[in-house]
Amino acid sequence: MQTISLENINNSRKGFHILVKFCADTSSASVVEVDMQNTSWIDADMCAPFGAIIDDLRERQVEVRLVKLQDKVRDILSRNGFLQCYGGDRVHDAWGTSVAYKRFSIDNEVAFSNYVSTELLVHDSLPKMSAQLRKVFSQNISEIFSNAVHHSKTLLGVFSCGQYFPKKGRLVFTIADLGIGMRQNINENRGLDFSSVEAINWATKGNSTKSTGNPGGLGLKFLCHFLERNEGCVRIVSDRGYWKRSNSGEITTEELPHPFPGTVVSLELNTEDKKSYVLSSELDVDNPF
Amino acid sequence: MTNEIKISVEKVVGNALCVASSDGEKLYQHIFEALEANNCVTLSFSGVTLLTSAFLNSAIGRLYDGKFTEEKLRASLKVADIEQDDKLLIKAVTDNAKQYFKDPQKYKQAMKTAEES
Repeated sequence: MQTISLENINNSRKGFHILVKFCADTSSASVVEVDMQNTSWIDADMCAPFGAIIDDLRERQVEVRLVKLQDKVRDILSRNGFLQCYGGDRVHDAWGTSVAYKRFSIDNEVAFSNYVSTELLVHDSLPKMSAQLRKVFSQNISEIFSNAVHHSKTLLGVFSCGQYFPKKGRLVFTIADLGIGMRQNINENRGLDFSSVEAINWATKGNSTKSTGNPGGLGLKFLCHFLERNEGCVRIVSDRGYWKRSNSGEITTEELPHPFPGTVVSLELNTEDKKSYVLSSELDVDNPF
Repeated sequence: MTNEIKISVEKVVGNALCVASSDGEKLYQHIFEALEANNCVTLSFSGVTLLTSAFLNSAIGRLYDGKFTEEKLRASLKVADIEQDDKLLIKAVTDNAKQYFKDPQKYKQAMKTAEES
């Protein structure tokens, strides 16, 4: 049995460092005990990549046990249903700020969009967003799910989780898959030999690897345009690449010391955005064909 | 003789959420058959609450692969009961598809060259 001590997992560069080290440290284990006595905080949305890693281990017949959870962390992981997936109980979220942890099969895009409509954008504590902003949120989040399904080639599904921060006016939502990652996908479909960071840069510019005969590549491009306007933030981790576009538009990148076994896209949305998203004056769209 | 055909997107998909590529494929088949029979098609988006580019690439983007000319598509296709932002999304998808299908190899090579320079 291998015992791994886990530190705090924040949605940050450091948090992803901890998760990829966890992946590397458990790569040849048959039983993993995750000692969480030193974990005093987990950003709830990070349950998506954390759960993906645990399920990846389980798919490989590795037994995983979470032990010595601090009360605070147990509370976080119970309120969003994460522990329920691993034998614990789900606790009612009295604050109404958590977005349930879920695993979706890859053919369930409609169920995912339903979840976004019924779990993500219906919190009582969310500010009164315009119907249009809700729709644009839903659209962009659904685009990420489609990207994960079509580009990752994963059979293990897509993991998602979120958290709303009322005082900050931010909604954080994270989606993870256990697919081949952007670097390998681009290499296989386009013959381009990028580093992991270069691969993420390439994908966010609207380039597509679709080999089905359909045009593609708009999902991540739309997302980046939307977040620029929304003053939101996006983090993408794929293989060894870490890529962040801050709410001021600054892009920071880094090669992680170990690979993540797939791709994570994490959005931080500005829920107090009052801008309009109809730019009818810019285009004549009487006939969009 | 050219007939005017109205296709309810929600009915074809069976859902108000038009997000899945596989659902886009269903709509593509309906549009393709109608156009092949030389009909004019109005796509009604009444009842549709969510559209994504992934769905539209399968349903509409593929129509630009050369089986029909751009002129024919422009003359034969219309949209109705649709919000302005969704119309803009369709425009973005069709613009992207036109570029892609003009010469898929050239399109890919151009992007490759741009990235390497």
